[in-house]
Amino acid sequence: MEFLELLQTGRPVLLDGGMGTMLQAKGLPVGATPELTALEHPEWLLDIHRAYVEAGAQILYANTFGANREKLSHCGRTVEEIVPAAVALAKEAAQGRALVALDIGPTGQLLEPTGILDFETAVDIFAQVVRAGAAAGADLIVIETMTDLQEARAALLAAKENSSLPVLVTMTYEATGRTFLGCSPAAAALTLEGMGADAIGVNCSLGPREMPPLVEELLQWTTLPIVLKPNAGLPHPDGSGYDITPQEFAHSLAQLTELGVQVFGGCCGTTPEYIALLRQALEGRSVKQIPRHVPAAVCSGMQVVPVDRVRVIGERINPTGKKRMKEALKTGDVDYMLGQALEQTEAGADILDVNVGLPEIDEAEMMVRTVKALQGVTEAPLQLDSTDPKVLEGALRVYCGKAIVNSVNGEEAVLDAILPLVKKYGAAVVGLTLDEGGIPKTVQARMDIAKRILDRALFYGIRKEDVYIDCLTLTVSAEPEGAVQTLEGLRRVKTELGLKTVLGVSNISFGLPARPLVNQNFLTMAMSAGLDLPILNPNVESMMAAVRCYHLLTNVDENAREFIAAYGNAQVSTSITTTGTAAPAPAAGGKRDLTEIVLTGLKGEAGPATKALLETREPMDIVDNVLIPALDRVGADFEQNKVFLPQLIQSAGAAQAAFEVIRDTLAQKDGGTVSRGTVVLATVKGDIHDIGKNIVKVLLENYGYTVIDLGRDVDPAAVVEAVRKHEAPLVGLSALMTTTLKSMAETIAQLHDAGLPCKIMVGGAVLTPDYAQEIHADFYAKDAKESVDIAKRVIG
Amino acid sequence: MPISLTQINPDEVLRYMGTPPDQAGADLRALVEQCAREVISAARPRWAYRVFDLTPEAEGVRLDCGLLLPGEDLKRHLRGCRRAALFCATLSAQVDALIRRAESGDMLRALALDCCAAAAVEEVCDQIEGELQGQFPGCFFPFRFSPGYGDLPLTLQGPLLNLLDAPRRVGLCASSTHILTPRKSVTAILGIAGHPIEANTRSCVGCPAHDGCQYRKSGGHCGIS
Repeated sequence: MEFLELLQTGRPVLLDGGMGTMLQAKGLPVGATPELTALEHPEWLLDIHRAYVEAGAQILYANTFGANREKLSHCGRTVEEIVPAAVALAKEAAQGRALVALDIGPTGQLLEPTGILDFETAVDIFAQVVRAGAAAGADLIVIETMTDLQEARAALLAAKENSSLPVLVTMTYEATGRTFLGCSPAAAALTLEGMGADAIGVNCSLGPREMPPLVEELLQWTTLPIVLKPNAGLPHPDGSGYDITPQEFAHSLAQLTELGVQVFGGCCGTTPEYIALLRQALEGRSVKQIPRHVPAAVCSGMQVVPVDRVRVIGERINPTGKKRMKEALKTGDVDYMLGQALEQTEAGADILDVNVGLPEIDEAEMMVRTVKALQGVTEAPLQLDSTDPKVLEGALRVYCGKAIVNSVNGEEAVLDAILPLVKKYGAAVVGLTLDEGGIPKTVQARMDIAKRILDRALFYGIRKEDVYIDCLTLTVSAEPEGAVQTLEGLRRVKTELGLKTVLGVSNISFGLPARPLVNQNFLTMAMSAGLDLPILNPNVESMMAAVRCYHLLTNVDENAREFIAAYGNAQVSTSITTTGTAAPAPAAGGKRDLTEIVLTGLKGEAGPATKALLETREPMDIVDNVLIPALDRVGADFEQNKVFLPQLIQSAGAAQAAFEVIRDTLAQKDGGTVSRGTVVLATVKGDIHDIGKNIVKVLLENYGYTVIDLGRDVDPAAVVEAVRKHEAPLVGLSALMTTTLKSMAETIAQLHDAGLPCKIMVGGAVLTPDYAQEIHADFYAKDAKESVDIAKRVIG
Repeated sequence: MPISLTQINPDEVLRYMGTPPDQAGADLRALVEQCAREVISAARPRWAYRVFDLTPEAEGVRLDCGLLLPGEDLKRHLRGCRRAALFCATLSAQVDALIRRAESGDMLRALALDCCAAAAVEEVCDQIEGELQGQFPGCFFPFRFSPGYGDLPLTLQGPLLNLLDAPRRVGLCASSTHILTPRKSVTAILGIAGHPIEANTRSCVGCPAHDGCQYRKSGGHCGIS
């Protein structure tokens, strides 16, 4: 019987037990590569597999757990030698009495952002294993012992793209209910089912007694069959074994059919004895059929956001009408977007919209970079905002979790280009109620489009719960009937189609005075009409206040807990000033001058003081005659050990706040920049210790240099490309480890080979002036301060 | 034996930050204390160990599982030890994430968090060392020695973690460039001797960064083990 047929019987399915433990009992030494056994001791594997068949296992895991090119790199054997041999041995032992699974474990390296393994490289590593396993005749693929959801995704994607075999995915959790990397069963379930796994569950790290809470969480978030392959209990502290007997193992695991678990087996420490007893314990048991309904929800790798109340989508990562954001996109300043992300989540955004579309940049490349960087700093799920399928697919591939795709509309071509991507990567999708004919005037016509989008989504296999409809906000000053139409459409989508709704809110008030009042009231009306996902600027307090009040008044916020937490100590003003934008609050003390503010590093006061100064002085005058001299003084004191690194950074932070104000002023005037020149910075390939480089960046920026920060683990070619593109006269490279100094030398060599006229400065804990010279760097910077001195010498 | 991280020495953190503790102002101290609390709350310290018999050879020291730890420095360091405990420890990826988040906002806070984490790893290693020493009553121990000290190569990180089954047991991996990930992690070898041994103190003498080290400038140690 095929694997999927086994699952369809609704009866318990039995997997095999531990392999590592069995191999060690056969004589495999500690630290040896277990996968080599297929070539060196095939008889061991035949024995072990046969024992599991005898015990009653219906599925054997071939001994391919670590048979990927990363893990095999030191043993002189290839994936193509080991995988077919291991699969063949399992098949020989099975003799048709059991199915054989290609077993895929982690690469042994951590993926970005914790490690340096790139997502696509991981997909490629797994793809090679999948192709070898499928060609060797495996009946299914198991992906197991994953602690990083992103790595599990990479393996699942590789399985789906390179075979048509069923796939079973299990992750390994700690007693806290999270994996080592912080992933919850809920996030794993939503993501892996979305991407097409056939069964999911838990293996390794814990024993059967620790399984029920994990199972209960999984059941809430997936309709797939649940798999448990736990260890033989918890390990003894001295490493001598596990804490429960085979009888207890079998007994406590088999009981979980009552929770609805269907697939059972054993991991570390379990033997054929455990599996035989488990088979007996499962005899006569049927898997309890529990009705399951997975609600509408999105997630990141860390956080699930169910759409069971109003969830705010932050709209700020979008260049439309934002000069500063456009500048950031052009210079590749991803940090700016990270700042926007953190600001919005602190203000209460649940989900972040990400739009990096700008005609003069490579949107696809920028989208991937931004999504990767955002995932490194925020746990909020993302809404990927683009109309270009190529951009969306790039983002969906690297996004870890269940994203929202923003958006499709009623046009056939759009639906057919984007919905298959939504399905493949398990996302939710926003459908705009417009089509070739524009935005329909009548509510009914919008309903028709919504219905068409839903039908097409269902046709592609997307769940109804994952389709969110946007009835579109029209500017009420131009379309006086518009607001009523939108609200009516929203109500009907909600009640007649039963779909979640999304709406960008602030367009409503365009061209009107007192926009915050209009926006806030429209938002409240829309929530009352059934709006689930408002897209808005969460930094506008009145908008978040409307959401909090709505939750309070609809009793979603039980006992007003959240409301009181937000406003318990607040003085709320409901007045609107009529003079336009409010004047900035005067700084405490008010009279400190900018020089003193920078010297003492008072970041909060730097912005207002600069604004005040701009009324009487020119921007460049302030830069040259106030900010730079103040920073120079701090720098000189630093060199003489009168102040230390923290003060240097603090002063730089204050100067940075001043520069932001000056930049904004210049951007508004469209009159030039404050830049003294461009410096490209990178932490070299293979190295992830970048805090020193980041301190250098802050200092350089505050001397008015434009910094192109390529981040960490940067390929030499990327440095060359950036220097060429930005015509940078100076490059700074950092490395912290002796092992990555090689990459630094390589990067310098490539810069020289390219014949670029730039100077190169290097720094990092293990560097010495001698070594800097040896690898042909032009300058050695012993600290961040010195990097500024070098920039002054090179650029001026 | 779970390791609990309950405190981080603020003076050590200040030294890592390049500030002599006696010259740190109240604001900076408050920041360090706040960051220490955040690191303690984000950290999920985990560790694994294994004890091996040792055989000195011409090229280095061999563990009884067959792995050679090459070089003169560790061999000299382990003179008199017939066994050694190999251990690894990590604060977990959550601490890396905490620092990353701070780096996109406030660099001073990021630096303070990074230095708190470095001090926390040392604290965790001290506890592990205490735990291991307790298992060998009457024995004597030189200070813990890690790849990167002296001529013990960083390329050993992967093989050492493999011996401890560290990726699976504690979620600690080495990158292709031999960097431990999560970043705030350590592998170390603790010699075990049945007789008193020549006292070795941990120092920067063998460190390749000895000449230009910023931590030394403020009278401290880098914590990169």
